Amino acid sequence: MQNKPTHIVWLLCAAALMCSCASRKVFSTNYYTENEKTLTSIEQLYKNINQQKHFSIAFTDKSFEYISLEILTDSIKYIYEFNIKEPRLQDTLLKYGLPVKDIADLVTQMSSIRCIWINNLDYYVNGQKRSLVFMSIRHVAINLPFTSEKYYILTFYAQPQYFDSEGRLLAGRRLRKLRIINGDVFQRINDKVCYTVSERFR
Amino acid sequence: MTKPVHLLFTMKHLLYTCIVCFTCMLHVPVLANDRDTTPLSTQKQALAYLDQQGELKASNFWPKVVPALFMQNLRKNVEEPFSIYEGRSTNFCAYAAFSYLPLHNDPLTFVTFMVKLYREGKAVYGIEYFEPSREVKLAAGTLSFKGELDIRPADQLWFLSLADHFKGYLNFFDKHYNPGDENRMWAAVNFAKFNRMVRNLFNYEVSAIGSDLLRPGVRDMYEYLSERIQTGTIALFLNNPNLYKKNHSKPIIGVPTHFVILLGVEEIEEDKIAITYWDYGFRSRQIVSPKFLKKIIFGISHIVKKTAGAK
Repeated sequence: MQNKPTHIVWLLCAAALMCSCASRKVFSTNYYTENEKTLTSIEQLYKNINQQKHFSIAFTDKSFEYISLEILTDSIKYIYEFNIKEPRLQDTLLKYGLPVKDIADLVTQMSSIRCIWINNLDYYVNGQKRSLVFMSIRHVAINLPFTSEKYYILTFYAQPQYFDSEGRLLAGRRLRKLRIINGDVFQRINDKVCYTVSERFR
Repeated sequence: MTKPVHLLFTMKHLLYTCIVCFTCMLHVPVLANDRDTTPLSTQKQALAYLDQQGELKASNFWPKVVPALFMQNLRKNVEEPFSIYEGRSTNFCAYAAFSYLPLHNDPLTFVTFMVKLYREGKAVYGIEYFEPSREVKLAAGTLSFKGELDIRPADQLWFLSLADHFKGYLNFFDKHYNPGDENRMWAAVNFAKFNRMVRNLFNYEVSAIGSDLLRPGVRDMYEYLSERIQTGTIALFLNNPNLYKKNHSKPIIGVPTHFVILLGVEEIEEDKIAITYWDYGFRSRQIVSPKFLKKIIFGISHIVKKTAGAK
């Protein structure tokens, strides 16, 4: 009987430990295969619009109602926050010459697979500038106590990439060192798409 | 009755000392203002200096920094001062932020220092003597996966030398450079260190409010900033996760981690303020509420040029 409180404490600790370990497991490495069609469509749509005007979109809330829209001009980056139903959003898109229908379509598709951030990222290989499309997906599992938020990050490259025997993204064909993006090591999905799980979505 | 000689002597000297001190108090600021001015130069002078250098020879001190790329980088800094970029995931934001001052107001001193540091491995900037450590000299030119900083070796050299030279309490446990330290506490900058660097390197008058943990007690932030931006440069010490949201969990404690240069502040509606700031090699304009603005600002440095005859 004396040991009863101790047992309860141990049980609580074990439960907390199990919860803290659960987070990574909910991310499926099959995520890309399951959502390939939508992901490819988002990537292509984003690339097309981004060619006309550089921009990025982030969902800033958990209910996918608010977006942060960053529009890059030659001299300045404009950062706006909108409710996706707000008429101001459309006015702003028109003001900067962004296609309203395509952006609305992009936002809807992003929301449908819980993609919270899409951006174009520059990187350098042998001094040459390259760019990739960076997407963050918020996982659907309920947030468990004692766990930090995790994001499933996908990077889409224009050229085939190089990987080591463990499928980790390398800096180049001759460079055997790992390519780090935003402090994370990436894994191969296919020659042009990689993924990682990160605590930061951007 | 006569006073003892030693007492007379003491009083006389005390009187002299008081007169000398009083005279110094009156005259030193006047003399100082004549001499103690912020050095200024133009973009044209800096470019002419770079042209005079011709082809730079590879430096033994900085083996990984290619001289042609180094010069190209310096030229770009002078021609496009907003383009200096701290790199992705590094702790160089403070060094990049205050580089705004020399690149806009005194590019000649900046490039002269950089060329000397490259050639000789040591140089003086303001009242600071730089002789970076061997590890830093080997690292400059090798930083990678940091976006445009990968191809800007002069900026790598500049940021690494600054982080190596200036130390604050945040660097207490990590004072010596190891590969990867540019992303760690080795390169971190607290508010007092930032202001000290500006004073010592560029000789500006810096009046700062705020701290590393507590926000400044300013009632009307818009009024405060818009008033001071008229007379000098403003650097803000901000709570970065609030400005650039990186995850969806609410931070338990908000602490400042990011430095930006405020370029403009404008009241656009009843409850909306447009702030234009410079960071990450770009100018950004963002519309925020006065409450949000007050929430993210932990430190404000008002940086004013010292001019001859100024009071």
